[in-house]
Amino acid sequence: MDCALDLMRRLPPQEIEKNLSDLIDLVPSLCEELLSSVDQPLKIAIDKGVGKDYLLCDYNRDGDSYRSPWSNTYDPPLEDGSMPSERLRKLEVEANAAFDQYREMYFEGGVSSVYLWDLDMTGFAGAILIKKAGDGSKKIKGCWDSIHVVEVQEKTTGRNAHYKLTSTVMLWLQTNKTGSGTMNLGGSLTRQMEQDAPVSEASPHIANIGRMVEDMENKIRNILNDIYFGKTKDIVNGLRSTQALSEQKAQAALRQDLAVALQKRQAKTAEN
Amino acid sequence: MTLDGEETISDQEKVRIVSNFILHSPPGEFNEVFNDARILLNNDTLLKEGALGVFGQYCKDQLTPVKIKNSEYPVLITEHNDLGSNRFYDARSKQSFKYDPLRRETSNYDSWEAEPGTEKWRSALESELDAYIAKHFESGSGSVFSKREDGKVNLVACIEAHLFQPKNCWNGCWRSQWFVTIDSDNADVKGVLKIQVHYYEDGNVQLVSLKDINQTLPVVDEEQLSKALIKIFEDSETEYQQAISENYHTMSDTTFKALRRQLPVTRSKIDWNKMVSYSIAKELKPQ
Repeated sequence: MDCALDLMRRLPPQEIEKNLSDLIDLVPSLCEELLSSVDQPLKIAIDKGVGKDYLLCDYNRDGDSYRSPWSNTYDPPLEDGSMPSERLRKLEVEANAAFDQYREMYFEGGVSSVYLWDLDMTGFAGAILIKKAGDGSKKIKGCWDSIHVVEVQEKTTGRNAHYKLTSTVMLWLQTNKTGSGTMNLGGSLTRQMEQDAPVSEASPHIANIGRMVEDMENKIRNILNDIYFGKTKDIVNGLRSTQALSEQKAQAALRQDLAVALQKRQAKTAEN
Repeated sequence: MTLDGEETISDQEKVRIVSNFILHSPPGEFNEVFNDARILLNNDTLLKEGALGVFGQYCKDQLTPVKIKNSEYPVLITEHNDLGSNRFYDARSKQSFKYDPLRRETSNYDSWEAEPGTEKWRSALESELDAYIAKHFESGSGSVFSKREDGKVNLVACIEAHLFQPKNCWNGCWRSQWFVTIDSDNADVKGVLKIQVHYYEDGNVQLVSLKDINQTLPVVDEEQLSKALIKIFEDSETEYQQAISENYHTMSDTTFKALRRQLPVTRSKIDWNKMVSYSIAKELKPQ
């Protein structure tokens, strides 16, 4: 399993679905484990009864059917598809409404879905999913997939809970222009966060989870910005320099000299 | 994909999958991908019999630079200097050798001669290419190969530059291949430029880029042609790199910002307690 995960971490993420399906064909015994631990780009389906889009992932899949968070039914229909308990379904309905608002405020479009399921001991887990595709302006296609998985352990008193959040954000950017040829910049970053929080009417589970997801997504957005548009760009410019390297080195030396001179002057001013 | 588990696929299909994984190893990560694939396949005999050719193919795809005897310059392993049976030649030092793609070692050196009438064009371009690489690539290598086809002289100039920093979880590679066909007074020039970058600290982010270039230029002699070709290489590669930089700028400034805001329009984070009570009220309200 470690080898399978290492492989998925190395192969081009742009081919993640094909690689995962090949990997499962190669080692069928890892199928379930791989499907639940390798995040894939989210797919959109429409709940025909409600006329609203929802997201497909391993967390709302039973066999070949997917459950809609809006009507709580499987498509294609399943007689004995797994369902959250009544208490959890009520929470799921509230969570979907809350994260729909969250999505509108941060993404101003896109699709969101929340799925909850009961855990064996004293708790539950959930997946909060958001997908937003860009409008393709300036000839650049863009897409964002958020996959937040939260595990909630309710303490016996019922007044506290432990939250463990694992978040993956996939960001896909693609363009094909005369000057640059095809450029495909994509992949995912994953981060984890754990926290205890009081649970009460004033601070229900959804608010606690919401705050964590919001903080996490804001943090990952900053990291994505640094890695995608800073780090990988610096690496490209480290491979080849548009300037002659000799000029670049002369400029660097000049900057160094200036910095030293400036430091000396500041030291002098401080002495006086 | 089989969801119900234990259906097995043929050995041939397994080899196809493993070969495909290996061929898609990011630059500098062949060993890691190879080891993963080997353990997952769990059949070394099958791997050796079925996927042996793939290791050499990967080295050729990557334009792998190799240090060789009797030359201060490395030679690139490519499909253009492949003599078959894992033998390659270096036109610069006029040697052929055996290359082991797994051990990355050379052996069984022999002398090698270029096709008559092509060497003057090749060596002239080679010395210009060396200077060009030194000017723009911090750690680049290049090779030029020549042959005669349908009476025309064909030159292929390859550039490889890489930065591998597995300790910092990133690797990157630049590859250029320039194909030149000299047809009496004119030369046809085709270029294939590739960049691949992999960043994998707590994630997997890759840049994969490719650009094709087509040009024609007049031919006087080998000296003029070499200088004119290098000017095309330099201008095209700089233009490509600048276009990539512009894309980065637009992606960051426009596309990324339009996907997700840094904060909501209110410029403050969400009041979740309010949001939850509002959502519940909305749910209770008959639609």
